[in-house]
Amino acid sequence: MQGLIFLVVAATSGFAAVRLVTNKNLVHAALYLVVTLMGMAIIFLLLTAEFVAWVQVLIYVGAVIVLLLFGLMLTRAQIGKTALDRQQRWVAGPVALVLFGVTAPVLWRFFDGRTISLDRQSGNTEALGTEIFTKFVLPFEVVSVLLLAALVGAVFLAKKD
Amino acid sequence: MDVNFEALLPELLLTLVACGVMTIDLFLPKEKRGLAFPLAFIGVLATLAAVLNLYGQNLTTLDGMFVVDRFAVIFKIIFCVAALLVFAVSQAYLNDDKDVPHGEYYTMMLFSLLGMLTIASSRDLIAIFVALEMISLPAFILAGIRKYDIRSNEAALKFFLFGVLSTALMLFGMSLFYGLTGATNLADISAGLAGRTDIDEVALLAILFLIVGFGFKVSAFPFQWWVPDTYEGAPIPVAAFLSVASKTAGFVGLFQVMFLGLGELADMWRPMFAVIGIVTMTFGNLVAIQQKQIVRLLAYSSIAQAGYMLVPLGVASATDGALNTQIIFSVVAYLLVYAFMETGAFAAATAFGRKTGKYLIEDYAGLFGRSPALAVAMAAFLFSLAGIPPFAGWWAKFVIFKTLIEGDGLVLAVIMALNTVIAMFFYLAVVKKMFVDKSEDTAAIAMPRSLAGAIGIAAIVITVGGFLPNLFGQLAENANFF
Repeated sequence: MQGLIFLVVAATSGFAAVRLVTNKNLVHAALYLVVTLMGMAIIFLLLTAEFVAWVQVLIYVGAVIVLLLFGLMLTRAQIGKTALDRQQRWVAGPVALVLFGVTAPVLWRFFDGRTISLDRQSGNTEALGTEIFTKFVLPFEVVSVLLLAALVGAVFLAKKD
Repeated sequence: MDVNFEALLPELLLTLVACGVMTIDLFLPKEKRGLAFPLAFIGVLATLAAVLNLYGQNLTTLDGMFVVDRFAVIFKIIFCVAALLVFAVSQAYLNDDKDVPHGEYYTMMLFSLLGMLTIASSRDLIAIFVALEMISLPAFILAGIRKYDIRSNEAALKFFLFGVLSTALMLFGMSLFYGLTGATNLADISAGLAGRTDIDEVALLAILFLIVGFGFKVSAFPFQWWVPDTYEGAPIPVAAFLSVASKTAGFVGLFQVMFLGLGELADMWRPMFAVIGIVTMTFGNLVAIQQKQIVRLLAYSSIAQAGYMLVPLGVASATDGALNTQIIFSVVAYLLVYAFMETGAFAAATAFGRKTGKYLIEDYAGLFGRSPALAVAMAAFLFSLAGIPPFAGWWAKFVIFKTLIEGDGLVLAVIMALNTVIAMFFYLAVVKKMFVDKSEDTAAIAMPRSLAGAIGIAAIVITVGGFLPNLFGQLAENANFF
C-alpha cells in the first residue's frame, strides 16, 4: 500500500518537476512547483515525519509559492511566453540526463532492499523539537542569524533610496 | 545538556557586534553614517581578543559539534586579521563611493565573518553546511551592493547562481554520507566508514558532490567561472574579502570533511585533488597571462593560488598520520602568507584605482616615479605571490614542494614548478610597467591613513615573514587535528 502511494506520488511530482522547467509560462511553472512540493510533503508523511510534512506545506506551498506569485504579478515582470528564456535547453537537458543516468543506478544498486525501521517516535514533533533544541542548537541559532542577514540584504537590494 | 559558553564567546560577541552595527546605523543621521567603520573595526578587534584568549585550550561542547582546538583558533585568527585588513581598505573605498551604504556593508561583512568563525569550530556536516551558507549569503549581497551599477548586479547574480547550484549538490553529497553511516558528526562518519567494503560507488559519487561545493568556495577548476566577473564587478575590498577570507573558509571545511570525516577514503579522493589542483593552477596561470585589467589578473592569479593549495591533498594518505599532518601544515602555512599578500595586492589596486578609476595594467606605467612607496609595496606583494625571495611567498611555496616530494608526488611538484615559472611572466610584467616604463601623468597617488596602514602592515608582515619564516611556521605547526 505504502509502496503504491509512493509510486503514484513520486511519478506525479516527477512529472510536475519536468513540466516546471520546460514550461514557458512562469505562472504555470509556479503552479507545477506547488504539485512537486506537495508530493514531497506526502513522501515525508509516508516516512512518518509528520512535522516536516506540515512545515513543507505551510512554508513552501503556503508562503513561498504565494510570495512567488505575488512577486510575478506585482513587479510587472513579463509573464508571457519566452520571457527569460536563454535557449539553453540543449545544453541543460543532456547535462541533467547524464547526472540522472549516473546517480540513479548507483543509488538504486546500493540502497535497493535496505530498510530502515520507522517507529512512531523518531519522526514526531516532540522528538524533532528535542533534537533541534539540544543536539542541533548551534546550526539552529546560526540559521536564525542567517535569516536575519538575508532579510536585511533583501530589503536593502529591493528598496529604492 | 551543558553548553560551554566560554568556547562560544567569540561567536556570541561577534553576533552582538553585527546586530549592534546594524541597529545603530539605523538611528544615525546621514552625514554620520561613517561611524559604522570604527564600530565594526573595534568589534572585530574585541572578537580577536576573545579568540586569542582561547589559544591553547581544548574545549568541546554541544555533543562534539563545536570544538575549540588549535586548528580552530588559528583559523579564527586568520579570519579576524583578514577582516580587519579588508575593513581598513573598505573605509577608504567607501568614502569615495557614495553609492555604497556603510551600515549594510559592514553588517554583511560581520555576518559573513561570523560564519567563518563558526565553520572553523564545526565538526558536524550540518553545522559545516549552515556555516558555509552563513558565509556565502552575505557575500552575495556584498558583491551586488553597488545596486545601480549593472556590473555589480552581474557580479552578484553570477556568484549567487553558481553558489546555489554548487551548495545544493554539496548538500546532496552530505545526505548520501548520512545515508551511508546514519551520522552527521564527522567522527561518527569516520567510524561508520571504517572497514566498509560495499560502499565504493556511492561514496565516490558523494565525494564528487562534496567537491563541487567546496570547489566553488575555493574557486577550483571547473567551478571557478564566476570568479573573474564577480571580482571585477564587486567593490574591490569585497573581492579581496572573497579571495582571502571566503576561500580560506572553503579550505577549512575541506580539511575537516576530508581528513576528519572521510580520512578512511583517502585513496578515493586523493587522485581527484591531484587532478583538480593541477588543472586549476594551470588554467589560472595561462589565462592570467592574457589579462589587461589588474583585478581580473588578481582574480585568475587567485584561482592559480587555490590550485597550489589543493595539490598537497593529492598526496594524502589513509593511514600515514604524519604525512597528513605535514599536508595540513603546508596548506595552513600557505594560507597564512596568502592572507597578507593577496589582501595587500588588492589594497594596492584599490589605492591606485580609487580616485583615478583606472584599473588597466598599462595605467600602472611609471608608478614608481609617481608614488614610490605604493609601487614598492605592490611589487613586494606580486613578488610574494610569484614566490620570489625574500618575501614570504617563496617559503610558502617551498613548504608545499617539500610536502609533495615527501608524499611521493614528484610529478605534481614538477608541474607546480613549471606553473610557478609561467606565473612569473604576468607578475613581473606588472612590476616592469611600474618601475621601467614611463608615464605622462606624474601626480602622486593620495592615500588615506587607513589604506596606507593596511598596505604597510601587509607589506611588513610578508617581508619580515620572508626572512623569519618560522614565525608563520610555528603558528601553522600548531594547526593540526592529529
